[in-house]
Amino acid sequence: MDSMMLTHYLIIGAILFCMGLIGFITRRNLIIMFLCTEMMFQGVSLSLVAFSRYHGNVTGQTFVIFVLTIAAAEAALALGLVVLLFRRKRTLDANAWSSLKG
Amino acid sequence: MGLPAASSIPGWGESAGLWIKRRPMTAALYIASVVGAVALYMMMPRRGYTPVRFGFLLGACSLGGLWLFLGRELPAITGLPDAAAGYYYLFGAIAIAAAARVITQSKPVYSALWFVMVVLAVAGLFLTLEAEFMAFAMVIIYGGAILVTYVFVIMLAADSGDASDEDTPEYDRLPREPVAAIAVGFLMLSLLLSVFAMHSEDGSTFPQNYQAQSESDAFVITNELTQRPVTELEAKIKARNPDAVMPADLAKKDKLDNIEKVGLDLFKSHPLGLELAGVILLVAIIGAVVIAKKRVEDDALIQEEG
Repeated sequence: MDSMMLTHYLIIGAILFCMGLIGFITRRNLIIMFLCTEMMFQGVSLSLVAFSRYHGNVTGQTFVIFVLTIAAAEAALALGLVVLLFRRKRTLDANAWSSLKG
Repeated sequence: MGLPAASSIPGWGESAGLWIKRRPMTAALYIASVVGAVALYMMMPRRGYTPVRFGFLLGACSLGGLWLFLGRELPAITGLPDAAAGYYYLFGAIAIAAAARVITQSKPVYSALWFVMVVLAVAGLFLTLEAEFMAFAMVIIYGGAILVTYVFVIMLAADSGDASDEDTPEYDRLPREPVAAIAVGFLMLSLLLSVFAMHSEDGSTFPQNYQAQSESDAFVITNELTQRPVTELEAKIKARNPDAVMPADLAKKDKLDNIEKVGLDLFKSHPLGLELAGVILLVAIIGAVVIAKKRVEDDALIQEEG
């Protein structure tokens, strides 16, 4: 795999990351906001695996396993919190919690 | 190194045309970013008519143009068929199109389903990178476990009462600050991409720190594993099932599979990380149970009583 092909994979990784970022800012639904952070994880994972292939070193893939672990733990906790917030306000709108700004 | 070199920014005396001629790849990436931003803005839900299809087409054109420009030196474009490169374009297009739908779709369940598409496409990209284990782990963990949790919560937290109503709630239909968000997102994207372009245009490649580990790892493993004594358990398993692959057999192979490499790296080089990941998962389980058990009073009820 040459440097040009690596650049191609990094471009897709960067696009996925930035799309997730845009989604996180624009979406007002708490669940979809978390879904967009998962999309950012996808972009980062893709870059890591591409670099791993480029260097011929599997440590990048090992790191993606840890990223997956954290993503799973984060999804379990964040979604539990979202359900808790929903039971309180009866809405998923992130703006409903703007009072947390202080 | 994070920013484009000062010479890549057009100076006052230098005409833009000269700059484009000198840095064609950076210019192409910037143009594609701007067109992509416009395309994504068109797809964003809004009051009145949303030209989703036109935005989609525009985005496809910008991405396709960018790829044609960038890939003109790749064997896939110049004739010599390279299967992995071909699948790269297929899965990459699916991933980006599905990602655009995730953030522009106003119905949460459809967003989650499009995200499954993103996961599948990224798994396909992993396959082209010869990372088979990661591809299947991605599909099983993301597509199987995490997405099911998401869909569960979306169903659980749906506004009851007007379930039959076709209209989605307002906070799903109208994005928050779409122009500013897209501007920021694509500014960041074009900065990231210009770093990649800088590498190519300056004739430098990404530094390769680990030269051809695939040849050396067999050597290292042979050295370490052949000297290691066969344990009692291993001998027992081997006696019962001659086909079982034991460390001593691994040392005899001259080329390791992806999953064998990942497993060796995970358990040999990162045992502490593995333990910590287990602890984090345990803490997450306990935390999720505690959060779920907690009784929450409805704000509206509290106000009625008070």
